[in-house]
Amino acid sequence: MLEISDLAARVAGKEILNGVNLKVNAGEVHAIMGPNGSGKSTLAQVLAGREDYEVTRGTATFEGRDLLAMPAEERARAGLFLGFQYPVEIPGVNNVYLLKAALNAKRKAAGEPEVDAYEFLALIRQKMKFMQMSEAFLTRGVNEGFSGGEKKRNEVLQMLVLEPKLAILDETDSGLDIDALKVVSTGVNSLRDPKRAVVLVTHYQRLLDYVVPDQVHVLSGGRIVKSGDKSLAHELEQRGYDWVMGTKVA
Amino acid sequence: MNAALRSFETQWRERVPDALQAVREQAMQRFLKLGLPSLRDETWRYTDLRSVAAQSFAAAACADGGATDGGATQSGAGLLLVDPSQAITLKLVNGCPLPDAEIPLINGLEINNIGDILKLDPKSVRRFFEPPSDADQRRWALLNTALFIDGLYLRITQSISTPIVILHVSSGESTQAAHPRLIIDAQPGASAVIIEHHVSQGESALLSNSNTHIALARDAQVEHYRIYSTGSGATHLDSLDIRQAKGSRCRQFTVALGGGLVRSSLEAQLQEPGANLDSYALLVGHQDRHVDCVNIVTHAAPDTSSRQTARAIASDVSRVIFNSKVIVNEGAKNADSKQSCRGLLLSPNAEIDTRPQLEIHADEVKCAHGATTGRLDPDMLFYLLSRGLDRDTAQSLLVYAFLADVLTGMSVTSARGAIENALISQLPDSQTLRKFR
Repeated sequence: MLEISDLAARVAGKEILNGVNLKVNAGEVHAIMGPNGSGKSTLAQVLAGREDYEVTRGTATFEGRDLLAMPAEERARAGLFLGFQYPVEIPGVNNVYLLKAALNAKRKAAGEPEVDAYEFLALIRQKMKFMQMSEAFLTRGVNEGFSGGEKKRNEVLQMLVLEPKLAILDETDSGLDIDALKVVSTGVNSLRDPKRAVVLVTHYQRLLDYVVPDQVHVLSGGRIVKSGDKSLAHELEQRGYDWVMGTKVA
Repeated sequence: MNAALRSFETQWRERVPDALQAVREQAMQRFLKLGLPSLRDETWRYTDLRSVAAQSFAAAACADGGATDGGATQSGAGLLLVDPSQAITLKLVNGCPLPDAEIPLINGLEINNIGDILKLDPKSVRRFFEPPSDADQRRWALLNTALFIDGLYLRITQSISTPIVILHVSSGESTQAAHPRLIIDAQPGASAVIIEHHVSQGESALLSNSNTHIALARDAQVEHYRIYSTGSGATHLDSLDIRQAKGSRCRQFTVALGGGLVRSSLEAQLQEPGANLDSYALLVGHQDRHVDCVNIVTHAAPDTSSRQTARAIASDVSRVIFNSKVIVNEGAKNADSKQSCRGLLLSPNAEIDTRPQLEIHADEVKCAHGATTGRLDPDMLFYLLSRGLDRDTAQSLLVYAFLADVLTGMSVTSARGAIENALISQLPDSQTLRKFR
């Protein structure tokens, strides 16, 4: 589904990614771990199509299509979803408006009719209940005045409504208490499916107790320096990132 | 002396004296002494009036037959703010009430022509013609006092639930000038919503120098709108004075949607404790429009509060200026003021200038101010794009969100809807934006 080869990128003139190789198949959950500043968020943003992040070499394909040639909105409509580490607040743009516009953009791209307003609201209410979100969400601006945890729940809610083929979740677990972490994990697990894939970008192993990955990768210095199964996450938790730093590309 | 000044002096000499002669004389002499404002004047540094100064002006005619034939050819007529059946509509042409206009009978609302009052009971309105404290910076207000021919005096004695629409039609050539005058006198405990709507007759390029005075007595409440939607050739200079007594509340909306050169000033005085002013400006620069908005709010008594919220948008080669100043007089303790101005540039050739200022002469006050101008926030834009919205939609949505703070404050929902529509038609990607109302 996703194939990244020798991907390098810089932000504001600084090299952040330095030859990333990664292959994610449909049905798989991959975790990308690594110390702060290793390039985890940059990788997520580059894959989602952030324009001010400059790709200097390498390729990335999504279902065989050249991902890097597609603008951000086209990637989203093709089924790629980025859960932001810091979801932005947009006062004046209603949460429901955004969700509806996003869903309709995706349906339009797939040649489907726009969603019926009544059915849409019923769908949102059902997903909100699942994510244990308050009704106030319906009337507020996008992430406006939300706590950190509410913002993360909102990211997962958007993901559940849009049902992406590939979800990249950038530190969706950070800043969550244990109850919120369980809700978010249940949300992510509900999307697991042989036709979909999930990439979890995380600093801690904690999330991986709830969303069990098929593969774990360690990103350091802009490259993947070690890959393994879920036991790698436990080992990292015990031995720290120093253990893998400086290791050759796995 | 430049051509404009000479022509105004000629008009002054030719007019017939009335009961306000002494006040008018004083204003005219001061105006002639100061001359037209220039870029050297503190609040005029962004607006070049040299082309106006080089022009001779004749007095614009009062209502004529052609100007009274309804709104079919009025620019901005498409912007019908409130359904006429839902409002009390009073029409002025070049500042003059129509001679055969039917005066609606509404409990709690007295509608008089200023010309009539000056003949019958000039003392009752004299206080509304005192020069403003910053007259040196607002010389056009002095000129209005000297040369206005007629206007309306509205005395509000009760709570009036129906909005009162003052339709200002300007009609004439660029070589003519009109000086419309409106007085709103809200008596103790009275309340009203007043919408001043400025439009042009056809391609009228008349210089309009309008002046409105709002007096709020104890516990009075006024929601006032002034909406500029004159044609693109029009020059419009507009002054608003607000005087507030104890416990009065004023909500004021200034919306610039039209005109070629628009200069809009507001001078408010919170004269007694508990007076509260909430002012909003929505300034839209479009094509080569020039909008210059100056607010001066004086806290002259303790426990007074004011909020100023301005949103400026500039596209094409337009220029928008928002200058605001809060003055807290000595002894006005516990004054509470907030100035917030945000500008949004939608074109590399547009310009927005903002200048919030504070002048505090008292202790124990709370004054906040902030001004930012920029392009659309790239983080917000990326967030919307990453959800699959196309770029046009995402941008339009963010522009609309930028204006939401001002729009949502408007209590007259029909006027708000009409303003939104007119606004949208002047923004890039208006078709896209319309879907997101």
